[in-house]
Amino acid sequence: MHLDLSELSQLAPIFRELFKGFHVSRRDPELYAQLSNFQDQYRTLFKALGFELVCDTRGFYYFVPEQAAAQVNKTAQRLSLFTFILVEHLADQGRDPMAVLDGGSLGRDELPSLLDKYRDLFLQAEVQSVEELEEKILRRMTQLGFAHEEGGVYRFLPPMHRFLDVCLSVQQDRDLAATLHSALPLPTPVLAEEAPDDDAASVDEEEEEDEAAALARAIRDEQQEIDA
Amino acid sequence: MIEPKRVLRALAEHWALIEPLCERFDQGTLSLIELRQHLARHQLDSTPQDITQLLDLWIRLDILVPVAKSPNRFELNAQIHDFLAYLRREHRLGLCLEIEAYLRHLERLAGHIQDAFDTRDSDDLARQLRLLDMRVRDVLKKLDNDEQALVAVAERAKTSNRQIPLRQRYAEVLATWDEYVEPMIQLVNADGAFEQGVRKVESVLLHLLGEQARLGHLVDDDMLLRTHARILEMQTSAQLTLRHARELLLPLREEARRHNAVTRGAALALSVIRRKGLDALPHAAMPLFTRPQSTFLGSASQVEAYVYALARFEPKPARFPKAHKTDKDPATQAPRTVKEMLQRCEDALPMPDLMLWLLEQEPNGATDELLYWFSRLSRDKRFARQRLARRDYLTCEHSVSLHSFALTSIRDATPESTASSAHAS
Repeated sequence: MHLDLSELSQLAPIFRELFKGFHVSRRDPELYAQLSNFQDQYRTLFKALGFELVCDTRGFYYFVPEQAAAQVNKTAQRLSLFTFILVEHLADQGRDPMAVLDGGSLGRDELPSLLDKYRDLFLQAEVQSVEELEEKILRRMTQLGFAHEEGGVYRFLPPMHRFLDVCLSVQQDRDLAATLHSALPLPTPVLAEEAPDDDAASVDEEEEEDEAAALARAIRDEQQEIDA
Repeated sequence: MIEPKRVLRALAEHWALIEPLCERFDQGTLSLIELRQHLARHQLDSTPQDITQLLDLWIRLDILVPVAKSPNRFELNAQIHDFLAYLRREHRLGLCLEIEAYLRHLERLAGHIQDAFDTRDSDDLARQLRLLDMRVRDVLKKLDNDEQALVAVAERAKTSNRQIPLRQRYAEVLATWDEYVEPMIQLVNADGAFEQGVRKVESVLLHLLGEQARLGHLVDDDMLLRTHARILEMQTSAQLTLRHARELLLPLREEARRHNAVTRGAALALSVIRRKGLDALPHAAMPLFTRPQSTFLGSASQVEAYVYALARFEPKPARFPKAHKTDKDPATQAPRTVKEMLQRCEDALPMPDLMLWLLEQEPNGATDELLYWFSRLSRDKRFARQRLARRDYLTCEHSVSLHSFALTSIRDATPESTASSAHAS
């Protein structure tokens, strides 16, 4: 494909934003119009540079990291958790979650009651106060292009569909539903922790425990053989 | 027998009062008092006697009829109500069963037509053909009415308040789908009652045409051909109505289903997180973001030194210290490990000020090292922390201004102190 760089007039800001993890939607009309008009050119150019540009038909663009390097990070977990909570909270209130999360808005004054109601869940995402909720979740959402804040109101943008898709895939995950009703632990991979020292220590402890258990088992087997 | 002209004249004369009443009667019956109040609101200059006279007239003309067993409640005469609905272009969705019943009747009529032909009774044959034609017109009228009613259902769903739950907003759509569209799909199927009925009537009519040519005419061929054409029109109309219904309602139904799936998915995810923690969510489902911003805390000189060391890396043998010798040289001392620092920190609990403690432990430590330990230790899950007021701390190189933390063991932390730390900002 022939690329005419003079056509890609917004290349630098588009790359800068996408590289930061930002989702470009109609909220940024100039960047969005450029991406829509020269979608194939941008995709080809970014692909050559090693970036995969995703053009979602619901009206947003973003970079998806390489699978090999990708890792579900804390932010993704926090934002997903927030979406789940918001969907349930709105449904409980008799409001339409889809209408709110797909172009609707949430007032900042609604956050304290949300935090109070779901304090146990927010704790898992290390969110303990309204300030932390705004800092760690809502500010992150605005930074990544999922929401826009104006005058104490957070308006949700089309990229929120990525989280609604998570709800759908969870709903379709029969294994997950099955494990919910079983006492066995979930077969999920362990996330790499930030402090490797701790991991090494815990792995050592586990290995020690395993060795001790194996030894005890061997002694028990031997004893049974002698008894027999 | 009420004279039709009088009924029509009354309807025309009092249309301004009757039209708003139709909407009220769509929702149920009205008591005499409610009726009087309604009329008084719409005719401000009328006296109670005028209203009584008007109501009397409507009752005498059978426009209003008393509800069975409730003489003080009234409803619109069903025939008048239907006529007014037609005039107001209101369409009430009928039942699929009605169409099926019509079809069964058409099949019976086809049988009667065959019988009349067999007995060579031309009058009966013409009568049965006329009945068949009228019945087909009824079906066509009904299909047209249903199609308009379906459009109205979809419009109501789309224009309803977006703030009310989707399930409630689209309840009518879902009910219409289940009660009308789904049975209609079955009915109009290739092996459904509709197609079977049409085929039966059509074969009788075509057989009749052939037999008339052979045995002589009992009725005009045109009449048979016209009825046949109308049957085919009815078949096409049913298929079009069904297609239109699907096009209108399927997207709305899918939207409602998607909404339900999202709500169910969120509830399932939350219950999994409650029981098994945040990491229990399947990672494949989570959205992946590029993460260019590093969360690594390091000074420029550290990064420079790291890159320099990487570029100039040369392997060299490591000298392990002798077991019987103690190395006093601080320059050759190994850096403290996280495990070691955590242990020391745990031994020093309760700690009134983490940053002060770090400065005592490492009086000559570099500022970035101290900040790293401050960040690492304050976030460790085995400590309960309480944020302190901002103040300045002097390291050997810099003056640092930050909110330090008071640390206590998470095991010793009482619920009150945990709650207070939760509210700390």
